[in-house]
Amino acid sequence: MATYIQIDPTQKLDPFKSVKKLPLEEYFTSGHRTCQGCESALVMKMMAKAAGPRSIILGSTGCMYVANTTYYSTSWVVPWMHTQLGSSGSAALGTSAALKVLMRKGKIKNEPINVIAFCGDGGGADMGVGAISATLTHAEYNSLILMYDNESYANTDIQLSGSTPWGANTTFSSPGKVKRIMHRRWKKNMAGMMAAGHPECKYVATICMSYGLHGMNSIRKALAIGGPTFIHSLDPCPKGWDYDPYLSHEMGELAVNSGVWPLYEVENGLLRLTGRTEQIAAGKIRRVPVRDYLLKQGRFAHFTNDDIDYFQSKIDDMWEKWLIPGVIPFRRDVEADTPPSS
Amino acid sequence: MSTKGTRIPDWLKVPFAGITPGPSQDKGQNLFPTGNWRSIRPVYRDKLPPCNNACGTNEKIQGYLDLVKRGKYLDAYALIKEDMPFPSVTGRVCYHPCEQACNRGKYDEAISIRAVERFLGDLGQSLKHDVVEAGPSNGKKVAVVGSGPAGHSAAYQLARIGYKVTILEKSSKAGGLNRGGIPDWVLPQHILDREIERLIELGIAIKTNCEVGKDVSWDDLKRDYDACVLAIGLTEPNGVRAEGEDKEGVLYGLPFLRDIGMGTSKVKLGPRVAVIGGGNTAIDCAREALRQGAIEVTMITVEANTDEMPCSPEDLHDMLEEGVDLWHGRALTAVLGAGKVETLQLHPARFSGAINASPITINRNVPAERFAVDNVIIAVGQRASIDWLPQEFKNERGTIKIDRFGRLGDTNFFAAGDIAQFGSGQPLMVVNAVGDGKRVAFNLDKALRGEPLQPRTVAVDVIMDLNRMNMTYFPHFPRAHQSMLSPVTRRKTQVEVIQGFSEKQASEEAGRCFSCGTCNACDNCYLVCPEPCIARPERSNGLYKILVDYCKGCRVCIEECPTGCLEGVPELDFDTGVVRMDTAFAISPGLHGRQAEELLNLASRPAKDI
Ligand SMILES: Cc1cc2nc3c(=O)[nH]c(=O)nc-3n(C[C@H](O)[C@H](O)[C@H](O)COP(=O)(O)OP(=O)(O)OC[C@H]3O[C@@H](n4cnc5c(N)ncnc54)[C@H](O)[C@@H]3O)c2cc1C
Ligand SMILES: Cc1ncc(C[n+]2csc(CCOP(=O)(O)OP(=O)(O)O)c2C)c(N)n1
Ligand code: SF4
Ligand code: SF4
Ligand code: SF4
Ligand code: SF4
Ligand SMILES: [Mg+2]
Repeated sequence: MATYIQIDPTQKLDPFKSVKKLPLEEYFTSGHRTCQGCESALVMKMMAKAAGPRSIILGSTGCMYVANTTYYSTSWVVPWMHTQLGSSGSAALGTSAALKVLMRKGKIKNEPINVIAFCGDGGGADMGVGAISATLTHAEYNSLILMYDNESYANTDIQLSGSTPWGANTTFSSPGKVKRIMHRRWKKNMAGMMAAGHPECKYVATICMSYGLHGMNSIRKALAIGGPTFIHSLDPCPKGWDYDPYLSHEMGELAVNSGVWPLYEVENGLLRLTGRTEQIAAGKIRRVPVRDYLLKQGRFAHFTNDDIDYFQSKIDDMWEKWLIPGVIPFRRDVEADTPPSS
Repeated sequence: MSTKGTRIPDWLKVPFAGITPGPSQDKGQNLFPTGNWRSIRPVYRDKLPPCNNACGTNEKIQGYLDLVKRGKYLDAYALIKEDMPFPSVTGRVCYHPCEQACNRGKYDEAISIRAVERFLGDLGQSLKHDVVEAGPSNGKKVAVVGSGPAGHSAAYQLARIGYKVTILEKSSKAGGLNRGGIPDWVLPQHILDREIERLIELGIAIKTNCEVGKDVSWDDLKRDYDACVLAIGLTEPNGVRAEGEDKEGVLYGLPFLRDIGMGTSKVKLGPRVAVIGGGNTAIDCAREALRQGAIEVTMITVEANTDEMPCSPEDLHDMLEEGVDLWHGRALTAVLGAGKVETLQLHPARFSGAINASPITINRNVPAERFAVDNVIIAVGQRASIDWLPQEFKNERGTIKIDRFGRLGDTNFFAAGDIAQFGSGQPLMVVNAVGDGKRVAFNLDKALRGEPLQPRTVAVDVIMDLNRMNMTYFPHFPRAHQSMLSPVTRRKTQVEVIQGFSEKQASEEAGRCFSCGTCNACDNCYLVCPEPCIARPERSNGLYKILVDYCKGCRVCIEECPTGCLEGVPELDFDTGVVRMDTAFAISPGLHGRQAEELLNLASRPAKDI
């Protein structure tokens, strides 16, 4: 196979050693209309910083398009293009293929250019899974798809998505007097799904920009490794999750430290827990109770103690009973699931 | 959200042409100045760390710890020298009130500040030329009476300003209690000698064996100098008013230590020694007694337990380790013996009030205890010797009458150190004497230049509280410990008991500092702003600019500032338009002290450039 597939060289993107070593330039600038404290905007900023100037960024519809780039204005200093809600995968693949052709024909200079397509959880985990999956099978095209997951269709006013956690209050699942828990599905395991099902994809990772250096270095690794890659980032959203914006950063830390959001990477088929998650797994730090995470957010304000306990038990399951804790959800034994009655 | 105060750029007042300017790195998206969403504005405001505040001379502790952490030892030494002439001395003898106040003590263990100070002091000792220089001469002459810590500090600061300073010292060697009080095994004399050499290098003349009141008169001082600092300390020991206190073998703590320090001691102690008193001087006497050949040393205190004793718990611990016996709740009522002390008579006693200066109640209704000794050392406080001072400047406490600036009436005489602080509630410690000497030197200078004086005790603005800092960023890490000689070895020698830090220990310990309230350029605010509207124009310099046109006021940066430097202020002026204020201002000379100057001009600069 290797003889047929021509993998183009990528940029050399060594990990940033420390915050002090970051480039000073911003390729995503201020003046955008994301909410105060939007962590997805922080992901955009860090993603652009990590990728550097020779990058093309493609964005599917959602907050990170609408709030950043409407009215003929843009926060992007690097070339940027909007794409359809479900088509981040197609845009990445097509752009990468087009660059390859232009370079082969000598119409543009032959140089490694980062192609990054981002999508929200609605655009990625729901609508765009097919296109993303297809892109991840094309080993000869270098691209990164970054799914910024604010756990709802935020831009159209916080509708439930496949990524919304169990029980959360969204405009499609508001708790009422008769029924308390309106959303009874568990969050899609997008990164695990992409890693497990795409043998051509050399790099899949989960990140959270509350750990900025870690997140940026994952992005650099994904871009440097070659071929199609995928990163899933969890982004606290003050509006959708209903908390005071100043807590944004802390919310991400809590997601990771409570074990709700495990950080890992799968590089050439090799799984590694990373960052704080690695420390939790090694027993160096203890997981904080999910209660501390949930009760800071208005979207879980209707939770009873039973609901919180149930949520905690599912997270404990994930850590203790999954085939690969936090990554592959299969179990060896069948057990009864007993959610609290709503 | 109010849109009042939005400043519409001129070019936005014309209809859209379909093309708007592209964003640029420094200006963002000109179209939308999202700053008008903001109701709280983040500002950088360096606050006073509790350690700096607690230090008797307000050393910039946070500042030099930060420099040590970054390996800039010489800069750190230069910074400490602004407020402290001899870090090598205080690095050994100070009771470190800074460490008691250290915020890290409420989290795990306080920073070992004194040990880092000693590390820097010893570095300074090894320099061929010191980092400080005498100021350009102003042609004025000042006499400093007394060469203890207060006189040393005053002379040092005055020489740096440009005065011609002469120190008059009645003892044969300079140093005050640093030499004739604090024992060699705490502060080796060669360390002090080097620091006194440094004064001479600054052009200061030191006249020893020169006693004011005997060799030099009040009028001589008035005539020969433009101004004078009296830093004469408390040189006379108190007695206990016990019967037979004048017998042979009865010694007083201060002269006992002083003679040993000055090398003039003729004392030969017997095997059994009692020390009367429960303060630091008594502890030094007890430990020195062991080193002078005593075999059994017993300390007898009026205090009912160790908690009541007015002493440093560390020194008490070290004393007990060396094998001194400790008795509580007893007063010496008589010294018995034929011509020479043989037995002590003790009665149960206690302080009638809560504090140690209050009168003692002795219960003489019970039979006295008898305690056989060869020597007794009485160490129950000191008083001043000021017979030579004009009556109008004496007060009821037996010290010098001064105003709140340290000045004697409207003369050009000032007083500093123990003589000025005795009975004022200020601790009588080396570092307080140094601080007092410094402040009084500055006041003397102001007085001679006709400027308003500063009160000796200055009110502070905001001291950084641990609760306002973000502890997520500080993993627990144990304090580095100084090694010590073992009790058996040290109780027989004059060798220094406590050892210094290695370079590695010093920098690791400095690395534990939280930098309370003062930006240490960690870059976190810069990293976490989602806009991004915190700009860092240069690498690693810690000077940040908030692009106020765009900052939405989410307060993430404030919440995530580990040190608590960033704080939010209400945007009060929305009715009249966004009025710009300084993005940074400083009350302590942290990093933003420098930035403040640049940012002062912000108001006059066009908004687009900010
Ligand atoms: C035994 C002992 C141990 C101590 N240990 C510590 C310690 O470990 N740490 C700590 O922080 N503090 C300690 N202290 C307290 C500390 O030493 C004093 O607070 C400090 O030295 C006061 O400094 P000063 O300059 O005001 O006075 P002093 O150090 O007393 O200096 C006064 C000087 O003035 C001279 N003088 C007096 N009258 C005249 C005159 N008429 N003419 C010329 N010269 C004159 C004296 O000879 C003396 O040299 C200790 C005190 C004692 C007594
Ligand atoms: C095909 C299509 N369906 C619906 C929409 C309307 N729409 C615009 S943004 C958006 C929400 C997208 O959610 P997500 O991808 O999670 O991004 P977020 O807004 O949360 O950042 C929707 C439904 C659209 N633009 N295109
Ligand atoms: S709704 Fe959420 S994701 Fe969208 S801009 Fe606001 S904070 Fe960001
Ligand atoms: S942590 Fe550092 S800045 Fe804070 S009180 Fe302690 S020494 Fe001072
Ligand atoms: S993080 Fe940025 S937008 Fe938020 S308050 Fe701070 S400077 Fe303003
Ligand atoms: S976050 Fe760090 S760099 Fe920013 S003000 Fe606070 S201490 Fe300074
Ligand atoms: Mg979404």
